Amino acid sequence: MKAKKKKRQDDFQKVKLKVGKKKPKADNVTNTNFRSKGIHLSEQLKKDSSGPTTHRQLGINDLLSQLHHYSGNVKQGALSGLRELLSVNPSLLEQHLSRLLSEVAAVFTDKDGNVRMSATRLLRFIAQCVPADRAAPFFPLLSAHLSCAMTHIETGIQEDAMKVLDVLLEHYPALLAARPAILLTNFLELISHRRTSGGTKKAQETKGRSWSLSVNPNRAVTGQQWRLTVLLRLGRFLQAVVEERPVEEGDVLVPTEGVFGSSGEGGFTPLDLNWEELTYSKAGVKVYEHSGAKPTPHSTYRLRPEVDPGAGVCEGLGSAEAVQAFATTLVPLLLEVWVEASANDCPWNSTEGTHLLTPDAMSIMFQVLSILQLLRKLAPQKEHQDTLDSWFRNEYLGDFNQHFMKNFPYGTLDTPKQKKKLDSKRIKQTAVVPGQTVEPLALNITLCQVMVSLSQRQEAGQETDADWLIPLRSFVRDTLANGVKLSYKQLHMLLDTVWRMVLTQRSKAVTEDLLAAVYVYYQQRNLPLLTRSLLLSFYSKLYLQEQGHTHIARSKMLCRWLAALPVQLSHLGHRNPALSARLILSIQAAASRGNKDLLSSLQTHACRLYDPQEGVVVLLPAESQQQLVQLLYFLPKISQSLLAKLSRCCTAGRISAGLAASLIRIVHFRSSLSGWSVGSQEAALQDVDYISFLFSTLIGFSSDELATLQEASEESALPPSPLSPLSLYPTPLEQFTHHWDVVEEVCHCLETLGSQSQCFDIVQNGICKYVTRLEVVPDSMAAGLLRAVSRLLDLSVLPSEPVLRFLSQCCLSLLALLLTLEQEAPSETNHKREAIWSACVSALSTVPRLLRMVLQSLRVGDLCEEELPQLGQMLSTLLQHTPLRNHLLANATLLQHIIQDLTRYSRGETREQWLTDLLYCYSVTVAHGSSTHRGNLGLRDMY
Amino acid sequence: MSAPMEIVVTADSAAQLWNCAVFDLHSGTNLLSYRGGNTSSRTLTVVNGEYILGAQLGKNFINVWEIQRKDQLQQKVVCPGVVTCLTASPNGLYLAAGIAEAVYFWEISTGNLLAILSRHYQDLTCLRFTDDSSHFISAGKDNLALVWSLASVVQLDPSHTPEPRHVLSRHSLPITDLHCGLMGPQARIATASLDQTVKLWELSSGELLLSVLFDVGIMSVTLDPCEYFLFCGGSDGNIFQVSLCSQSLSRDKAFQSDSDGNQVFKGHRNLVTCLSVSMDGTLLLSGSHDETARLWDIQSKQSIRSIAHKGPVTNAVIMAAPANMFLPESRPAAPLPRFNRHLLSSEHSEGAESGVMCLRLGLHAQNQEETYLEKADKLYSLMSAVTDKAVFGEGESSKVRVAELEEEVQTLKKVNKDLYHFSTQLLTKTT
Repeated sequence: MKAKKKKRQDDFQKVKLKVGKKKPKADNVTNTNFRSKGIHLSEQLKKDSSGPTTHRQLGINDLLSQLHHYSGNVKQGALSGLRELLSVNPSLLEQHLSRLLSEVAAVFTDKDGNVRMSATRLLRFIAQCVPADRAAPFFPLLSAHLSCAMTHIETGIQEDAMKVLDVLLEHYPALLAARPAILLTNFLELISHRRTSGGTKKAQETKGRSWSLSVNPNRAVTGQQWRLTVLLRLGRFLQAVVEERPVEEGDVLVPTEGVFGSSGEGGFTPLDLNWEELTYSKAGVKVYEHSGAKPTPHSTYRLRPEVDPGAGVCEGLGSAEAVQAFATTLVPLLLEVWVEASANDCPWNSTEGTHLLTPDAMSIMFQVLSILQLLRKLAPQKEHQDTLDSWFRNEYLGDFNQHFMKNFPYGTLDTPKQKKKLDSKRIKQTAVVPGQTVEPLALNITLCQVMVSLSQRQEAGQETDADWLIPLRSFVRDTLANGVKLSYKQLHMLLDTVWRMVLTQRSKAVTEDLLAAVYVYYQQRNLPLLTRSLLLSFYSKLYLQEQGHTHIARSKMLCRWLAALPVQLSHLGHRNPALSARLILSIQAAASRGNKDLLSSLQTHACRLYDPQEGVVVLLPAESQQQLVQLLYFLPKISQSLLAKLSRCCTAGRISAGLAASLIRIVHFRSSLSGWSVGSQEAALQDVDYISFLFSTLIGFSSDELATLQEASEESALPPSPLSPLSLYPTPLEQFTHHWDVVEEVCHCLETLGSQSQCFDIVQNGICKYVTRLEVVPDSMAAGLLRAVSRLLDLSVLPSEPVLRFLSQCCLSLLALLLTLEQEAPSETNHKREAIWSACVSALSTVPRLLRMVLQSLRVGDLCEEELPQLGQMLSTLLQHTPLRNHLLANATLLQHIIQDLTRYSRGETREQWLTDLLYCYSVTVAHGSSTHRGNLGLRDMY
Repeated sequence: MSAPMEIVVTADSAAQLWNCAVFDLHSGTNLLSYRGGNTSSRTLTVVNGEYILGAQLGKNFINVWEIQRKDQLQQKVVCPGVVTCLTASPNGLYLAAGIAEAVYFWEISTGNLLAILSRHYQDLTCLRFTDDSSHFISAGKDNLALVWSLASVVQLDPSHTPEPRHVLSRHSLPITDLHCGLMGPQARIATASLDQTVKLWELSSGELLLSVLFDVGIMSVTLDPCEYFLFCGGSDGNIFQVSLCSQSLSRDKAFQSDSDGNQVFKGHRNLVTCLSVSMDGTLLLSGSHDETARLWDIQSKQSIRSIAHKGPVTNAVIMAAPANMFLPESRPAAPLPRFNRHLLSSEHSEGAESGVMCLRLGLHAQNQEETYLEKADKLYSLMSAVTDKAVFGEGESSKVRVAELEEEVQTLKKVNKDLYHFSTQLLTKTT
């Protein structure tokens, strides 16, 4: 009860309100401290209207428009946003390239350094993605903004323009180089300022030079540093201009510098055809463009002046005059830079005689020199280059001499004390010029090259160059001879210097001196391949230049180098085919010129080079093999031993049959029997040696090989039987075909020797002496001999009895072999079967006594049961061959006798198929013969 | 000889019957033969249509015949060495001979030795002029062929040694033959070599256009006048024909696989040493070491005729017959001078009569002579004046003159008649 009452009181309890206390909130009060927000579905809305966006959901249009924002941060953000967007969606790049480039280029000149930096970064990214041909239409715009930035009054913008230039140089060198005029002036303005006409007095002092170096104290870096950066870019830019110039073909005669590294073949690729291909291929040869009416653009004839003279001049560096004009402004500036650099650290003169420089000065000097070098190369054509050289000489030789040569061998200054002091500074500097550490060696070599290019061909009584060339020469000599480690490029430059000195100095002592130094370098072991081939081509080019330069032709060093070539070739073996090919080229050039030193050296080493086992002729790839074989032509004497080796080379199968054939032909041309001779060239070999060479090549096997065959007859060769009186050694198919091809060539040579009867006599003697006593005969040799006999025999000669007997044995054994081969009947032996068959048949038909001998030797009584069908088959195939029919008829009695014997021995109870065939063939032949019997009466007289 | 006639001139090294002989191209009849000595390979040349020159085999002189006096050797030109190749320029002004490794260059009109070009390293094998005589090419056993510009060779400045315009150095064995096409400085040169290749070059740029590798060494090469085909004589006696302009539009080519222009002429048994094509490009002449010269029909590749010789054929060439050849009474327009054996410049130093050469430089500096055109104009006006006068001039006087003449004719007729009557009377009286 009480509890119930209490509850009710609780429900209606009165809230007491007091003054000063907060009024408690009512239970049903509405809480109003929430906030309402709108719902953004931005992505969903934008997706269908425009393309992809960044992570900030900004589209490309937004970003591009943000580039016009006043705030630097916004612009920078937009630039980095663009980079992000483009890297994710490369397709945008293609659509918006023109806008992108124009907007990005516009911020090259932005006041904010960070903006410029990210603009450069974006440009680099774009340049990586867009090839040059697609950027080409926008390039005028880009270069306009670039030159705007380069000539900007703020130094920071100028400095950053260099970075933009770097990007463009890296990716679009061709486009930049196409319009060099404006950029060159910009470069000049970066490091100097144009003199106004007000300073008349000064202008007179400097001989009308209108530009002078400027110093801007506001720059973050020192003046020297700044100049270095500019010169670096200028150098790269000129490099691009030089490289993008259409390459002219290197005329063989003009001493073009720097080509001994390259292959030297420019422009035009000739058609190389093979007779085989030509006969079988359907593709037509088209040699003449525009049906030959116009000469090719490579023609050296200039009958009329070029039609548009305007185009070349306005291009800036298209003509020699333009280059000269540019050089007149640039070279004094460069000289000033040089003087400034060398003046800064003059006092250190080391004890070794080298002039020490700080690394900074070193690199700036190096830049100066390399720009000078590039200026020389700027001449558009070869003939202009000479005029430019002489112009340089006239104008600046004195200045160069005074400044460059004063302290010539430069060394680097490397004092630790200095280093510590400059430590903090250096960090800053390296940021400006990244990776520019120039070795003193490079500096010195470049200096040599620049100076030597100024030296002129010496006329009589003009000795002015000699004095300043001496230190250069001694430097080059020492560098080469002392085995200093040189990079490929440095070596190239050094060799270039040597080349020019040798050609311009024209003195024997100088040539010997320099070449000796090069030779010392050449003789070093373990040079890399590239270097080695560079040196080789240097020498061979020099050798090819000798005409008209007696001092080169008589140089002992060159002769020594040439004489050493065959030795090197034989030592090199198969280890480096590329280098061997180069060596062979040089040897060939010298051999074709009849250089005595080389030829005698070649002769002494010929036996080693042409060794059939480990000579280079069998080790090298096919092209080199061919060249080596061609070298044989130039040998003054081919000795017996060499001929023996060559013969083995031909037969051993390590060079192809075609090459073997051309080897035989070349030996043929050098013999006195070839009939082709122009002028007074002595035959390189004696006729006896030549004929024995041919004979041993015809045999195809050395006496040792034949001897071992006789020994090891049982397992390898087919055993002799009454049907095949000789035991034949079956050669592998490749060897057989190789031998067969060689035999054809040898036969051709023998045929053209002159008197055919004497020639046959010789071959007959050879067979009689060396071959008839053999019992095991390789089948290729047997077939080859039959072939040769049938080709060489003429009717006036009677072959001797023992030879005939041997040949008949060969023939019979081959026919037997043919039957066994037919039974095996794999298709690969087709060629072999045909060759054997044709050899046998032609021999049998051209030498009628051979046929009789064969028939006589068929004694049916001696044959065993199994051989009878073979004999029958053999006879029937011979009977079926029409050219032989008449000859067989002439021996009708013999034939009849054999067939009678056959029928008798073959146990007439079952008349087998082969016998029926044979009898049929026989009857056909006899029937044919009786009709033409009268005609054959004369034939019998031949026996 | 009204129509231009083509003849075959051949020489062999045995020379039992004649040194060199002339045959009719189409009938093959022996027209002429020149006797005395024998001629070595690639040395037979005709100078100016008036003389035949051929170097003696293995000796150091050149035989000279006047072209119409076949039997008699006109003179012998003694040279400093054995002549291995000889050629005269087509315009008949210069003679070039390869002696050992040097080219000797004579001016024919004076006999002066203008230059000795020793840029080859080994013996020369072949010399050829372009058809306009502006350049010549020399090839040698040193694998090189050099292109010389005549203008650079013929100059009197002794200090300047002539340089070849191009050096063609892509062969790897001695060059055996050389052919220079037509079109002057735009010609193409074909070279054959023992290295089994034939190469085609452009003269103007010295570029290699084409190289064809064969199975055998090539001993001779020639082009037909249109330069459609290249003919290469191999050392095995085959002659290979390479088509240079085979049209590639060939729908039915599969059927005629053989006739696409690359074919072989088979017949010779030994080195084919000389080749020549007739003017119309239908006949090919080849000379070989198998002692025959053969004439082939190019279209069908058959041997039409074989001309037997007594020794290896050294020269065989088809050329247009010179005008004087078949006129026994004709004489050469200018006698052949003595050829000097020393350079012209050395004579100069002797000081004797150095003014042989007269160069007329500065044509406009002299008094201007009338040009032929002006002269022709003058003559024409003169002649037309005469005819004008005759036809249209002074009508009156001419009429009078005509009347006078008619009268005179009348009187003459009358006198003639009287004379006739008188004589007939006299004759009839006597009978």
